[in-house]
Amino acid sequence: MLLAGYTAYTPGGAGWITAGKWTLLRGGVIQTAGARVQAGVSKHEAKFSMGLRGQTLRRGALLTPVDAPAPLDAAAQVRLLGLVASARDRQAFAMLFKHFAPRLKAFHMRAGLAETAAEELAQETMLLLWRKAGSFDPARAGAATWVFAITRNLRVDLARRHRGGLPEPLPEEDLSPSAETLRLEAERAERMRGALATLSEAHRRVIELSFFSEAPHASIATALNLPLGTVKSRIRLALSRLRDALGTEP
Amino acid sequence: MSIQHHLSDDTLLRHAAGRLNAGLALVTAAHLHGCAHCRGRLAAFEAVGGALLEMEAPAAMAPSAFSNVLARLEERPAPAPILRAPRRAALNLPPEMTLPPVLAGCDIGRWLWLGRGVRYSRVRLPWAPDANVMLLRVAASRAVVSHAHAAQELTQILHGGYSDSTGQYGPGDIAEHDETVLHQPRADEEGCICLAALEGGLRLDGWMGRVQRRLGL
Repeated sequence: MLLAGYTAYTPGGAGWITAGKWTLLRGGVIQTAGARVQAGVSKHEAKFSMGLRGQTLRRGALLTPVDAPAPLDAAAQVRLLGLVASARDRQAFAMLFKHFAPRLKAFHMRAGLAETAAEELAQETMLLLWRKAGSFDPARAGAATWVFAITRNLRVDLARRHRGGLPEPLPEEDLSPSAETLRLEAERAERMRGALATLSEAHRRVIELSFFSEAPHASIATALNLPLGTVKSRIRLALSRLRDALGTEP
Repeated sequence: MSIQHHLSDDTLLRHAAGRLNAGLALVTAAHLHGCAHCRGRLAAFEAVGGALLEMEAPAAMAPSAFSNVLARLEERPAPAPILRAPRRAALNLPPEMTLPPVLAGCDIGRWLWLGRGVRYSRVRLPWAPDANVMLLRVAASRAVVSHAHAAQELTQILHGGYSDSTGQYGPGDIAEHDETVLHQPRADEEGCICLAALEGGLRLDGWMGRVQRRLGL
């Protein structure tokens, strides 16, 4: 039996191994050239012990399909970030990398960055995720929102340095919302995703352009061939729809 | 005093997206520092960013991407560059007034004459030398010459207050004006000190405008 296009991660070993084909042996052992894996429980995530070039590696590596990795839900993201923060867990980091890095790259490419720049920004964001995991507070923002804020700040900083500016000193102060506005929790990003999906095409377009285009709204108006007032009122409407859908009142 | 004038959805959304220029972002941050209401709204708009990231169809990373990052996990972060101390002119601010912490890294020039009872001081951002930011100080009950704007202007009231055709503004309030507003702010009895950023240049009406253009300001 052959399993095509799977990737195995070996902690402390060779990193990700992608093989065009893995051969399933007896007793749930699968192998490819140079690596042998004990397949485990589920289709998407298997624990195994691994022999690689004669070495026996630690248990608990991952086996995930390359083409269709199961997206991590918000609760899993929070749990994995907690493991990265508290135990410097590289396996948890690997799962977060699998989930976020390709989305970060796509996000920056949509915003007009060249593929190499988007790739670099995605990698730098993941490195910062590893370093800053301890400051992630699930009571303040969902994991995806936190990752978005990291990558946004990184992009702004890089763009300013590109224009000859020095790095902006990091604020010392804590800008956390006050207790009464503190209603963010891990599910919020998912609810927001649902809310975005209910927007009309035109409304979603203006919101996306606000995030993905460098241009102020006047230029968005030109790009969409709409009067500026129409763009602004569409943004207002779209945001109030989102608020309705979220049941929040910011 | 409670805040009456908040950031617009439009500006806050662009700030959440990281799409405001450095000057407007600085004044926005100055307002957010004092306004829990707008910080809560910002958190919601950032969640829009998080949702857009989650909805993105994954793009294939370079084959070496994960091992690159893995190899760098134990790397020490590059030390923060040593920034020179910001240059500060003596501003003689009212004793009870403090500048917002977001100005900590900025150079602030001396007060310069802009009109009768109106002075300004250039604020320079080392991370964005081309940003158009200033402190404005208007003497008690004085009016700023009537003006319109080439693009967006954000003004955060730091001390005192002013009134114009769009309303009354006090400490902690933010005023947003764009090219559609022609206004003549008049300071309250205490005078007014505010932090302003412009997206484009400022267009003055009347004789001040002619002087401004001659001086190439």
